[in-house]
Amino acid sequence: MTIRMLKYELKKVFLKTGSRIAMALLLILMGITCFFAMDVSYVDGEGNSQRGPAAVAQLRAAQKAWSGYLDEEKIRKVIAENLRIRNTPEALSQNIKEMNIAYGWQQGIEGIRDLLNCSYAEGFREHDYYRADSLTEDAASDFYINRTRLLREWLEDEAEDQFSEAEKAYLIRQYENLETPFYYDYMAGWQQLFEFSPTIIMLTMLILGYLVAGIFSNEFTWKCEAVFFSSVYGRNKAVVSKIKAGFWIVTGIYFMSFLFYSGIVLLHLGTDGWNLPVQASWTSWKCFYNITNLQKYFLIGMGGYVGCLFISFLSMLISAKTKSTVTAVMVPVILIFMPSFIANIDSPAANKIIGLLPDQLLQIKMALGFFNLYSIGGRVIGEVSVIMILYGVLTAALVPVLYQVYRRL
Amino acid sequence: MMELKISDLRKEFKDIAAVRNVSYTMSTGVYGLLGVNGAGKTTLMRMLCTLIRPTGGSITWNGRDIFEMDGDYRKLLGYLPQEFGYYPDFTVYDYLMYTASIKGLRPVTARQRTKLLLKQVGMEKAADKKMKKLSGGMKRRVGIAQAMLGNPQILILDEPTAGLDPKERIRFRNLISELSENRLVLLSTHIVSDIAYIANEILLMQDGEIRAAGTAQELIDAMPQQVWSVEAVKEEAASYMKAYKVSNVKAIPGGVSLRVISSEKPAGHAVLETATLEDLFLYYFGEKENDDKDVEV
Repeated sequence: MTIRMLKYELKKVFLKTGSRIAMALLLILMGITCFFAMDVSYVDGEGNSQRGPAAVAQLRAAQKAWSGYLDEEKIRKVIAENLRIRNTPEALSQNIKEMNIAYGWQQGIEGIRDLLNCSYAEGFREHDYYRADSLTEDAASDFYINRTRLLREWLEDEAEDQFSEAEKAYLIRQYENLETPFYYDYMAGWQQLFEFSPTIIMLTMLILGYLVAGIFSNEFTWKCEAVFFSSVYGRNKAVVSKIKAGFWIVTGIYFMSFLFYSGIVLLHLGTDGWNLPVQASWTSWKCFYNITNLQKYFLIGMGGYVGCLFISFLSMLISAKTKSTVTAVMVPVILIFMPSFIANIDSPAANKIIGLLPDQLLQIKMALGFFNLYSIGGRVIGEVSVIMILYGVLTAALVPVLYQVYRRL
Repeated sequence: MMELKISDLRKEFKDIAAVRNVSYTMSTGVYGLLGVNGAGKTTLMRMLCTLIRPTGGSITWNGRDIFEMDGDYRKLLGYLPQEFGYYPDFTVYDYLMYTASIKGLRPVTARQRTKLLLKQVGMEKAADKKMKKLSGGMKRRVGIAQAMLGNPQILILDEPTAGLDPKERIRFRNLISELSENRLVLLSTHIVSDIAYIANEILLMQDGEIRAAGTAQELIDAMPQQVWSVEAVKEEAASYMKAYKVSNVKAIPGGVSLRVISSEKPAGHAVLETATLEDLFLYYFGEKENDDKDVEV
């Protein structure tokens, strides 16, 4: 009985022309996002930029040549190789074609060179793209030490008032707990996948918001509520089937979209580097979460799912309460775009609040880079763990509220 | 035993009393609830369908409060609301199958009932048509089919013939008559002829109250005024309409023939007539001239 009701609830949603257009739009936008995510270039020996599967294979081969543990010896070699390339006539030339040829030689060590720029920066929040060019091989031994040193200096100086002593100790401990030397390998697949993940998740959320917004309110829009509520299951099982429909729409479309995106990108760029620490990529060098790329992928995927579930259920609650689909559709839009208007406030307290907003779940990739810490019961916890648990619980709490609100109308 | 008992029922919306102290008991048969728009018919019916809770009083089914019975009561209920909504992209068959599922019908029973009712309401050939493509009359027929899906003991039809053309109205009336066997049917309308043919008992509702109730003959017999036929020149017609309730004006050679409701003889040459249901309704709901109420005879 419940399955039949669920089947028809899903039919109500997907038979609408608007829903079909929304789904088609999602497919198109996903296609565009995948195209950009897969777009990796390789500069050949002639200085020409190549794209497509051949370019991926060549880039992989170039970077694989430098794979291995990033120990002192490897760092030393990378510094030396970088200097060698930098001092070639091609690199010193003002001719773009020549410079491109030099860049082509550099592609194999590019990822490690970026890490050198981070490690040997002047300050924790500094980034000098050419810092690696001024290094000598003797500096190699400081590669990992610098990471913690710069953090300590930052915590004692610029960020002194931003964290409690316990939080500072937590950050340092997390940095020290990173296993070094870590392994380095080609990992363009994961880097590109992470880069565009917020786009895919937010697009999916907006479409989901549109799809679920009418589940409850459309009974009123279509004037079907009298028959619905006067039926035997109109105030119990039929309401549950609506909630289930919302759940399955979010679950089905979210994972379809996320797994399709991941599958396409990883199929094209490869899954190499899945077990590398996220810090092996310069964009996550400062990250205090000691996780691998695969773990980061799961966090992004699950965070996005919890976020989409929460926002969709909130939208459904508004739909049930206000009987207005338009108002309900606005919920995801407001929750996704409003924080970006207030995100530029340079206040640690404000950042802590902004860090708890549900849009953060849709962009875990970014949240993993924020130094938002919360002290709960004497324990220091990072933003990502807090929002995952918080919104997981809130989503579960929304279900009975939604049920009660609608059945009492 | 089948007894739907309304006791001292009241419903207020802010300061407006939509239903005032209504008491009535119904069992098997067709009950016609007649009143002008705004008389409180829909509010009363929505309370009988547990869609809104009364401000005071009670409704019981065989002695049990219907709101406490919850799903057990709704299991007995079939309801066609005044504004019958539908899922625009569903086919007729899907609509009925979905409604059957929320009415708790098992899949096999749902399929059987849907097929039977589609045949009964003459919609067999339109089963695969989308609801949004149906004409007003066809939608109403689907509406009655959905109300009958659970083979309900109580069938509540709110203005089921509203907006239908005369042919559809007759067809619909006959259909309700067919379906009314062994159940309690409460039918609201502001169209006299709808219930004149099919209702066993008629409830006249005005300003939230039941003004009179009984069979058509009982109500006619109890009418406090009489019906007179008066022939007059055209110029006199207006003064009659101002002074009396006039249920009909017919042009005749040399003037008009008026059907006047009055306790005294309106003119020396007036002839006493036998009252009809239409006269009765006009007596209760009609006004003298400039009637802005909504009664169709």
